[in-house]
Amino acid sequence: MKIVATDIARSFGSTRALSGVSITLEPGRVHALVGENGAGKSTLLKILAGAERSDAGSIAIDGRAYAPRSLAEATALGVRLVFQEITINPSLSIAENVFSGQLARFRKRGLLNQAAMNRAAQALLDTLAVDVSVAQPLARLDLGQWKCIEVARALSTEPRAVLFDESTAFLNHREADQLLAAMRALGDRGLVVAFVSHHLAEIDAVADQLTILKDGRKVGDFTAGELDREGIQSRMVGRDLSRGLYPPRPATRASGEPMLRFSNVAADGLEPTSLSVAPGEILGIAGLKGAGGERILEVAAGVVRPRGGSITVGGAPLAAKTPAEGWAARIAYLPGERTTEGLIVDASVLDNLVMAKPPRRGPFFDRAKARAMAQAMIARLLIKASSEKARSGSLSGGNLQKVVLGKCLAIDPRVLLLNNPTRGVDVGARTEIYRSLREAAKEGLSIVMVSEDLNELIGLSDRILVMREKRIAASIDDPAATSEDAIIRHMT
Amino acid sequence: MSSAKPTVTERAETTQQAPDARSRRDDIRRFFPILLLLVLVAVFSFASPRFLQFNNLMIVAQQAVVLLVAALGMTFVIIAGSIDLSVGAIVALAALVAAATSASLGIYAIVPACLVGAAAGLVNGVVVAKGKVPSFIVTLGAMVVYRGIVLFFTRGAPISIDDERFLDLYSGRTAGIPHSVLIAILLIAIAAVMLNLTVFGREVRAVGGGERIALLTGIRVDRVKIAIFVLSGLMCGMAGLLQGARAMAATAQLGEGLELDAIAAVVVGGTPLTGGVGSIQGTILGALIITILSNGMNIVGLDPYFQNIVKGLVLVLSVFVTIDRKKIGIIK
Repeated sequence: MKIVATDIARSFGSTRALSGVSITLEPGRVHALVGENGAGKSTLLKILAGAERSDAGSIAIDGRAYAPRSLAEATALGVRLVFQEITINPSLSIAENVFSGQLARFRKRGLLNQAAMNRAAQALLDTLAVDVSVAQPLARLDLGQWKCIEVARALSTEPRAVLFDESTAFLNHREADQLLAAMRALGDRGLVVAFVSHHLAEIDAVADQLTILKDGRKVGDFTAGELDREGIQSRMVGRDLSRGLYPPRPATRASGEPMLRFSNVAADGLEPTSLSVAPGEILGIAGLKGAGGERILEVAAGVVRPRGGSITVGGAPLAAKTPAEGWAARIAYLPGERTTEGLIVDASVLDNLVMAKPPRRGPFFDRAKARAMAQAMIARLLIKASSEKARSGSLSGGNLQKVVLGKCLAIDPRVLLLNNPTRGVDVGARTEIYRSLREAAKEGLSIVMVSEDLNELIGLSDRILVMREKRIAASIDDPAATSEDAIIRHMT
Repeated sequence: MSSAKPTVTERAETTQQAPDARSRRDDIRRFFPILLLLVLVAVFSFASPRFLQFNNLMIVAQQAVVLLVAALGMTFVIIAGSIDLSVGAIVALAALVAAATSASLGIYAIVPACLVGAAAGLVNGVVVAKGKVPSFIVTLGAMVVYRGIVLFFTRGAPISIDDERFLDLYSGRTAGIPHSVLIAILLIAIAAVMLNLTVFGREVRAVGGGERIALLTGIRVDRVKIAIFVLSGLMCGMAGLLQGARAMAATAQLGEGLELDAIAAVVVGGTPLTGGVGSIQGTILGALIITILSNGMNIVGLDPYFQNIVKGLVLVLSVFVTIDRKKIGIIK
């Protein structure tokens, strides 16, 4: 099967999502669609998969016209889509998830033939080379394995093309690797495989071919290895990024009385841990999920209560028992899940920005002051919103994250706790977030950043702690001199 | 494995609507309650000349007062993402207390009535916030308990209110306008200021918009939840007092079903049960729509056995039109 799309265009209201994009997907090749948020890559993929219609242009499969009106129609013609979102139903079994929508295939005298369904599901999972047994409860598996179950679901209709819409967005390193391996396996079997991504490491790892999009137009088609990472990035962003993603570190190391200090702090999921962060220092924390990094943030923020040890903030003992006490002590916390923990998508940008510390006159909300605060923060963080009154949900992922960061900075914090501050954020917004963080640190803010993105830890931190099995496994004092591999060795 | 599976509510730019189509639909949503009210008024005044007479309008206003005052408290509860099913029972409890104390306290029976209402709300709020029991269950149980207390003390018999000054202040008229209506207007003003102009009002919206987000942003979610139930109880205390004064008695059946009418008034006014958004203006319109519908159907002489069918249909119709499906996603 070979898919050829020609001059595809699509508009949403006054926004042109795609204009005149052509692309050829060859069997046996893994094809990456690369671009920033809003570049049109997901729209293109969804048009190919029947989830969206194009306004203009044509698609042909092996020379025959192809214009699916629905996902079901595309499925019938051998094209399947794997979504960005997790679409596993955790209250069903693995096999039921694989064959969701086709359980009728396993009907025997009116009842469901569980054994046959389990056997068929296992066979599909085995072809993906993932270590999943259908007998396992879903709750024991990680998100990468869940995603692989979704791939098995796609394969259950014997497609000849499988398209992945940013499917690694919610996965960590290890989990994403499993999914990438599954993509590779499909390509090796001669299927058409295409995926949307803005992670350069993923593109490096599996793509044979890549198409870069920017602002709804194609920048170009490239074969793997033709461009280096910087070449890809600058074409995605449309400007030269050679001066680097990360702001320069200050010449002198931050010093002085620690702003935040943990002495033998233990909690559920954290062995006794001691650490300190100086004013103006950015402390990076690496580690796999559950290794204790996130727990350090949660204890400092008052989300999880420590079992023992002592915490001081600005030299004074403080153990926040609730997040409210943490914020009151000017400890700001940016949680890991943007839309379920960070901000209210239905509320306005202003509402979110001033939520932690609404300006007040007595019991009354000071609207004028709030507007000034919000506008200042929008300007400071370069948040792209039509106004401070815009609904937050109308912003792109990167700008949403800037709003969460703005909410934290609006209280003039002494300590800023960050959990994966740039997850799902495109390169352009990332550089702006990094710059803002470094500027805030220069003003004396102490930052603790947990991240799964090792490049980010190496590029931004003044010091890195590596967590393994709920304790600090290594402390790296000179991040500039370390490598991803060195950190991974400490992590595992 | 961590319990927090990502739930994706970020909207890709690709699903956005054309701005003009969107705003037109938003307009319909926003103005539907007032349109519905105008249509009802037009239909009823066309069908019966008595409907628009000053006297009937004052009866409508008086009938609306108890529902409206209870619905004001309910608005806060629903915006915060909770529900209060004990409203009708608290109204009965407060009316009982007002009746029992009016003989000795006269007009000051308002104090124990409101205190009992607030205390009943406080119990609800503490069990919901500290006990972490869903408000639907807590207030369902509370409804039965509070009603049970009323029955226990009255033994089912009405307690009459004879104190002249009490009746004069709470159900008399000045220049033809019932005092209860003036009191309701005062309460509306207080509620509107609290919801729209205070930090507390913003915290209520934040808790309803995303409880975990509010918690992690340092909002004292427990306190907010307790406060809204106390507020709801306090409003019910006032509603019970006014209802007792109007009926000149407290009965064990007083306020039965009021909780459902109050929820309906809030929802018909455009405040979704999902929380996070809502308005006092909407609740006023909702309470008026429900009251006028009943009053008008009576005046027009519609078969009383048919009236409930109409009321139910109007409720579903108005939610069908006003609900913002894009923001809710999953309809349960």
